[in-house]
Amino acid sequence: MNDPNEQEVLERMRPTQRIAASNSFRERVMRAIAEENTRETSISIWRWRSWPRWVTVGCAAGLLLLLLPMLPIGKRLPESPGVALLAQSVQAMSNVQTVHITGRIRTLPGDNFELIGTQYNFVPIEIWREYTNPPRWRVEKPGRVVVMNGQSALLYISAINSAMTGTPEAGFVEWLRPLLDPQSIVENELAAARQGGAQATISESSGVTTAALHRQAQGNFANDWTKNKSIPESDHTCVYRFDSASKLLEGLQVVISIDGVDTVVAEFSDFRYNEVFPQSLYTVRLPADVNWMTGPATKPAQVSLNGPKEAAAYFFDALARESWDSVLQVMGGTKVPPMVQQAYGGLQVISIGEPFQSGLYPGYFVPYEVRLRDGSTKTFKLAVRNDNPAHRWVIDGGF
Amino acid sequence: MVAAATLRIENWPQTINDFDRLVEATQDELVQFAFYRLGNQADAEDAVQDVYVQAFRDRVKRRHVTEVRPYLFRMVRNRCTDILRARSRKPGQTRVETIATDDTLSVIVAREETGEITRLLEQIPEREADVIRLRAWSDLSFAEVAVALGAAVPTVKSRFRYGIEKLRRLMNPEGGAPK
Repeated sequence: MNDPNEQEVLERMRPTQRIAASNSFRERVMRAIAEENTRETSISIWRWRSWPRWVTVGCAAGLLLLLLPMLPIGKRLPESPGVALLAQSVQAMSNVQTVHITGRIRTLPGDNFELIGTQYNFVPIEIWREYTNPPRWRVEKPGRVVVMNGQSALLYISAINSAMTGTPEAGFVEWLRPLLDPQSIVENELAAARQGGAQATISESSGVTTAALHRQAQGNFANDWTKNKSIPESDHTCVYRFDSASKLLEGLQVVISIDGVDTVVAEFSDFRYNEVFPQSLYTVRLPADVNWMTGPATKPAQVSLNGPKEAAAYFFDALARESWDSVLQVMGGTKVPPMVQQAYGGLQVISIGEPFQSGLYPGYFVPYEVRLRDGSTKTFKLAVRNDNPAHRWVIDGGF
Repeated sequence: MVAAATLRIENWPQTINDFDRLVEATQDELVQFAFYRLGNQADAEDAVQDVYVQAFRDRVKRRHVTEVRPYLFRMVRNRCTDILRARSRKPGQTRVETIATDDTLSVIVAREETGEITRLLEQIPEREADVIRLRAWSDLSFAEVAVALGAAVPTVKSRFRYGIEKLRRLMNPEGGAPK
């Protein structure tokens, strides 16, 4: 309880007039924030545009550059200073206890870690990795977090309040997986280059060793739907930077090249080593009503579907009837997220097209056009796959 | 509008939409705090705008700050201190203000109040004045004031008591309760 005198003095110091922000204040602030966002996306941390073209296309001729003999030739060339430095880097990074990486990726906030797009704004991303036995890590971006506590991995997607557990190797972090092992990342890249999959250039200048690896898009692009929608499915260059003194990895930038235009889609500019991480980092506090996505179609199969188009038709029909149990026949999870129910319940199918394959995706894409309850129409491609043990056709995304 | 004092912002916002919600929820209390610190609305709004932009710029770094509201007060307090220091280096450069709120009378009365309150607070140690400002000009609890000042809660409480006692004596030098 406050002493009366104390309370009276405090009241004397408390203004009687409430001051509010002016009417236009919020708009001004948000405009300034939007400008800051635009400025961030147009400035490359390493002044990318001023770099020579070799970085983006792996050209051989360069002042300090040493083109590594990456093609599988039988004879070893003498080791260059660049290669020696890289070997030292690998050695230095093998002594690391923890690494904390911050960066940003052009993607949609709640979407998976694989999706990238030159049209998207940068979204912040953070990675923590602890080299304990067993190792532990956490990867997080707005709307999506994955933690691996040494025993199992947990994915939580806040936008749809859904979670999923898996083994430590579950592919929840997709393309980012190699970044969880930065001490071996260069070894992995060089191994890929040795198999002929990449062109590599290494340079050392101003206390920084740079390794740039250029790769062609992987996958089948008879239909180019997935081309440039993920880093492996793009012509891309990864530029790794190492501090020449400590030999530790200190930066990574990924540039994709579309029709001769290079765009930075990911950059990790802050690598902090040997920080002490709190235990709570490897847990996620889940809401009580979280939807557990326990793998594809957890309900016992009540329908037999022959192919991706039939699965898509069944899915849309179930949504149209708002028959959520039927929806769960072809969708992972214990319940249909309310957001999905609200957006897609009662839809009308306008058309369902022919399935096709594209890029590295192991399933099919089914084009569709539907009219939603609010009167709007949506045209997109449903991702459908059956590469699960039961070979059940399940809807994997695209809605 | 969301009442700022009842809003619990769990984590530092990460998207423009998150920031829009944050600004809506906290703009009035932060502008009020800056107003009483700086003495005019225009400087107060500039200071708070700078803080929001800085908060956006640092969003990755501050991702795990859980006490967002008191942390914003901390940033506003620091920004106001910078502005006051700059003013003291260049005396006489008083900003000519156009009152931009709907309630001009409130601003005028508030400005007069500011003069009296500032005069009293200038007479006690700055670290005690800091605690009293945050307690009196916002709805922050002692725990939140501690976050805002980067100090321990017991320290904040003792500074508050010492400060109040000194103010009490300043208000009523002959003893007894202030009138």
